[in-house]
Amino acid sequence: MTDTILDKEQKLVQLLEQTFKKLSGKVVRQRRVTVSVEKELVPSVLSYAKSQLGYIHLSHMSCVDWPENNNFEIIYILWSPADKVQLFIKTLINRENPEIDNVDMIWKHANTYEREIREMYGIQFNGLVGAQEFILEDWDDMPPMRRDFDTVEYVDDNYTFRPGREDAGDVREEIVKRSGEDIPDFAKKYSRD
Amino acid sequence: MINDKNSKKIVDIIQDFSRRHSLFVLAYGTGCGAIEIPPTMTSRYDAERFGIRGMATPRQADLLLITGYLASKTLKRVIRAYEQMQDPKYVIGFGSCTINGGMYWDSYNTIKILSDYIPVDVYINGCMPRPEAVITGFIELQNLIKEGKANGAQKYKENLEWYRENQKKVIKDWKMPDYNW
Amino acid sequence: MREKATTLYLGPQHPGITGNMMIKLKVEGDTVVKAETHVGYLHRGFEKLMERRNWLQSFTIVCRICVPEPDPNELNYSRAVEEIEGRTVPERAEWIRTMMMELSRLASYLLWFGGQNGSSGLYTMPQWSVGDRDYILDLFEELTGGRVYHMYIWPGGVRRDLPDGFADKVLQTMDYLEKRLKKYDDLMFANTIFQKRAQGIGWIDPKKAVEWGVVGPPLRAAGIKSDVRIDDPYLIYDKLDFEVPTQTGSDVWSRALIRRFEFEQSISMVRQCIEKMPKGEVYNKIPNPMKWTIPAGDAYVKAESARGEFGYYVVSDGSDKPRRVHVKGPAYVHGVTLLERILVGANIADVSFIMNSLGTCPPEIER
Repeated sequence: MTDTILDKEQKLVQLLEQTFKKLSGKVVRQRRVTVSVEKELVPSVLSYAKSQLGYIHLSHMSCVDWPENNNFEIIYILWSPADKVQLFIKTLINRENPEIDNVDMIWKHANTYEREIREMYGIQFNGLVGAQEFILEDWDDMPPMRRDFDTVEYVDDNYTFRPGREDAGDVREEIVKRSGEDIPDFAKKYSRD
Repeated sequence: MINDKNSKKIVDIIQDFSRRHSLFVLAYGTGCGAIEIPPTMTSRYDAERFGIRGMATPRQADLLLITGYLASKTLKRVIRAYEQMQDPKYVIGFGSCTINGGMYWDSYNTIKILSDYIPVDVYINGCMPRPEAVITGFIELQNLIKEGKANGAQKYKENLEWYRENQKKVIKDWKMPDYNW
Repeated sequence: MREKATTLYLGPQHPGITGNMMIKLKVEGDTVVKAETHVGYLHRGFEKLMERRNWLQSFTIVCRICVPEPDPNELNYSRAVEEIEGRTVPERAEWIRTMMMELSRLASYLLWFGGQNGSSGLYTMPQWSVGDRDYILDLFEELTGGRVYHMYIWPGGVRRDLPDGFADKVLQTMDYLEKRLKKYDDLMFANTIFQKRAQGIGWIDPKKAVEWGVVGPPLRAAGIKSDVRIDDPYLIYDKLDFEVPTQTGSDVWSRALIRRFEFEQSISMVRQCIEKMPKGEVYNKIPNPMKWTIPAGDAYVKAESARGEFGYYVVSDGSDKPRRVHVKGPAYVHGVTLLERILVGANIADVSFIMNSLGTCPPEIER
């Protein structure tokens, strides 16, 4: 890919780096630009991108848990209908006491994403309104999308399985014993080992 | 005529005949299996020729079709809908995930065995079951009604405490009216 | 006299609601003054399950995320994995993928025609269109083995090549659907009841639509020419000849028209795919799936589904399992904030009608 094609992407990175000092950006590929900022800067970068650069559409907002680095990564994915560039704004927040400013005054539908992330990761969004429970109901364990939440352990504690089907083991012998029929030829071919 | 306890009265035979040919399904798509219900009900497979059709309210429905996995949040609503239904009532578990968790065996939010929480008369396996399988399940239920074996509601009444115990294990905040059982 | 406001719970068990969700309506008389969406009845924790499964095992569960239209999920997941890994896809596979996407769009629109009319009490249309949808499902079944869930588009290509004589069957089905579309015009679009019901309700402000997060047919019905197939081209859409229809009404009627015109476009695109499809391999073989690792990185890919932009954000940490797969379906915005906005002022009878016109699909809101 030649450099001329990535012209508008590089210009965007330059513009953002000039405006905000503590910001580093890079062009991933055509129509994809990533910038990393500190969490205090997020609302101002987002409102700058929306009002000045034409990134008026919030495509997606996500969160990734990195327990080995002891932080959460929040990603805002913006789209400019004019430039046709997808802008990723990434920020890291500490895992111990996770909080970040909410941005639902910039995009109303960010509220939905933030409520989900609050519920699934236990991250506090300062100033976020809306019911605490969004997807789960009467949840009393740790937020389920955190990496240290063990879903199998939770399932074992709360649900039961049919006898003989607790694990993903081979049940063909058991079926033969119960039904008194032979294993069909086509099923013999497939071995678990 | 022999006056045996086990032999059916003629009135029962007529009742069962009417019941099994007018199964009204509660229109509640609880899971992804709901996508195979429109083809089953419309022109190609036309389940209405078996007397099966949708019904909007639980109080007028005979058949609760659990179309797939149940999240614990839905389970609460399903129990409520089931208890509102009038006798005679039947339950069909639809899809592998109602039988033993299926694809979601390690999911923290779905129940694994449906018959621990509400009595199930017929299970249809598959992910998804085809409309033919669904109709076969309906016919199986009709046969059970004919033989007098579709007595899930009776089982629920008799073992209510066991069912309640299981239900309350999943539904932590029990804020439901107790119906007269 | 001002009437007293009452709370009305629409769902989760309600025949008019599209799927398993609940809208808490505050009504004065017959008018909605406040709407609040409650979701979570279908939450299975897919994103957690995928953290436990390796890259190929995750592929088998992604299609369960959206039931009416599973193919965009498979496509997006595969494209995200391919983008992070740098895997190339044979050209014939790209053409087959495009054909699958358009067929699935047709199937989804047929189901939608039925749902939209069913929610206004016109029950002939569901009988016709859902019955016709089965002919497309038959094609899927012959090609992939499954009617609803196909698990066909996978990382590296597609699972198998088209069987003998399949192309002819596709063309026959397209001819049939084109013929049927004229009947739908008579039954649905020339129907005075449907026209009067649909015109002027569920209005979305065209000036605010992009900012509000509206995508897909509702956005095009507001007069904004926005389509992922053109804005962020994927597969081989740049080699196909098609138009993106727009309308200016921004109401339920315009959204119905958009879908009707796109139906024609999709039929033409499927024909072009069959005609121009090159010969060759369909699958770029992946290594042993149990030891298959993807280099660290992230990707956001999006595709135009029948209801709008479908996005996947996939993060890899260099291991054999995904670190994070976050799905953004169009209904995530349409079904929550947008619906809460535009239901205000509507009649109770129009609520499910408006919901259907946005294509709200709860399983992709909560996953």
